[in-house]
Amino acid sequence: MNDILVNGEAMHIPDGYLGPYTYIALWIIMIPIWYYAGRKLSSELKSRQVPLLALAAAFSFVIMMFNVPIPGGSTGHAVGAAIIGIVLGPWAAVIAISVALVLQALMFGDGGITAIAANCFNMAVVMPFVAYYAYKLISGSTEITSSRRVIAAAIAGYISLAIAAGFTGFEFGIQPILHHTAEGVPLYMPYSLGVTVPAMLLEHVFGFSILEALITALIFAYVQRTDTTLLYGEKSAAQKKKMKTASTA
Amino acid sequence: MIPEWMKEVDVGPCSCSAVYHGKKGFVGKTIDGIFSFLQEAFVSETYAKRDGLLQSLDPRAKLISILAVIFATSMVGDLYLLIIVYLATLLFAYLSKVDVLFFIKRVWLFIPIFAGIIALPMVFNIFFPGDPLILLAYLGPGAHIGPVSLPDSIFITKQGVNLAVIFTMRVATCVSSVVLLFITTPQQVLFKSLRSVGVPKIYVLTLEMAYRYIFLLMDMVREMYTAKKARTIKSRSMFDEQKWVGGRMGYTLIRSIDMSEKVHMAMMSRGFNGDVKVMQQFNMQHRDYVAVAAAISLSLLLVLIAHDFIRV
Repeated sequence: MNDILVNGEAMHIPDGYLGPYTYIALWIIMIPIWYYAGRKLSSELKSRQVPLLALAAAFSFVIMMFNVPIPGGSTGHAVGAAIIGIVLGPWAAVIAISVALVLQALMFGDGGITAIAANCFNMAVVMPFVAYYAYKLISGSTEITSSRRVIAAAIAGYISLAIAAGFTGFEFGIQPILHHTAEGVPLYMPYSLGVTVPAMLLEHVFGFSILEALITALIFAYVQRTDTTLLYGEKSAAQKKKMKTASTA
Repeated sequence: MIPEWMKEVDVGPCSCSAVYHGKKGFVGKTIDGIFSFLQEAFVSETYAKRDGLLQSLDPRAKLISILAVIFATSMVGDLYLLIIVYLATLLFAYLSKVDVLFFIKRVWLFIPIFAGIIALPMVFNIFFPGDPLILLAYLGPGAHIGPVSLPDSIFITKQGVNLAVIFTMRVATCVSSVVLLFITTPQQVLFKSLRSVGVPKIYVLTLEMAYRYIFLLMDMVREMYTAKKARTIKSRSMFDEQKWVGGRMGYTLIRSIDMSEKVHMAMMSRGFNGDVKVMQQFNMQHRDYVAVAAAISLSLLLVLIAHDFIRV
């Protein structure tokens, strides 16, 4: 497992990095998000909810196993939250990625238990939402098969991971302010915002985000060539068109 | 009736690996990663079936106890307390008939990557001032790297080492507890026990199904990479290879959504109507209550000490 964890490691916060104020606050933020996502999905998907989300979660887990060659003879892998957000829609992505993150935390200690909410916030909420709306905004009303949508997916992958990394850096950076002993000795993540945010951003903006952009675009292009009805929101549009033609005929 | 020999489980950890000639590329790494994933899962399962102390506890009692300890540990800032809790996890691993060396290795394998990068710079006086322990270099006044000015001399500080050790130990103790929970509980039981901490039924079912399909998808991915390896004579340009991986990921995505449709139909034809029922046959006994009470009081004690309500 060692190999495949190296690149994702920066985004999976272990236990002991964040102090109680931060992780409890993130649990309080995440619980209503999970609740709302669950409500929304069960009314949208009905009995399809469990199998669809289970398979999507399994996919979110497995996507990290794919090694991709990167310059320098090394390999990397994608987080995958951007493409899941684009294909399944952001709310389904919230649940699917959260389930995958819980599994990773329980099975490998990859990402902490206390930090589950923090990790879910960064990777299962920020990433798919940023990716989905960036993709929607850039692709506009272009044809579903247009190449502009591939570029939109790439940009969505890029900025969603960079922003998620920025959030992670911010969560790290507020630790020395929130938690320190009377003598000012930090108890958790010891580096200040001035160190953590640039470190996380630089690492991603010039590294992992580029890979995420490439992979998001490649997967999107494949889906576009193969079966566009899978894309979230597109099926209903096609059905609408069909209904329209049916009503005019 | 299932014959006895079919119920027997191989208790020894198995090892499976692929054989390589020459350098491992991204294909070899992926196949290897999948093998080690499967191996981890199998090994955990063999430990979960032994008749040790933690295996005999009610899974809900165990889950709540270990979660309480993890949350409490995350608040502890005292090195000795952390060491005590860490040693306790080792003791429980031993009592649960888990190979202690395997257990230590499994936990510490990830620690250097997790905490090392963060903890290492803490020991120098560049980030945090402190009393010198080992002098590394004398730079003289006015030294700097680019715009960043450095102190007169660089040394490892006492406070820095202390901080780094506490930081690493806290991460290790938490990981140790989670691993202990996972390897002493069969997965399907572990997921069901999540009901007891308020996870809705529908997510318990989703988790269980996701866990099962991970193995199916993993195997699919392994087959793709093996097939590629078998067909490869000469490696292509990097972008072509990346395109291949992207295509395979897209294919896996389409397959999983397609499969979910079929699984859904199969569930419907067997009478599923969207209403989730989780079968639970857990039975709390006196010792389970004792275990929960002990773990929660220990956790409370840890929290109280951490917040200086009790001085040691």
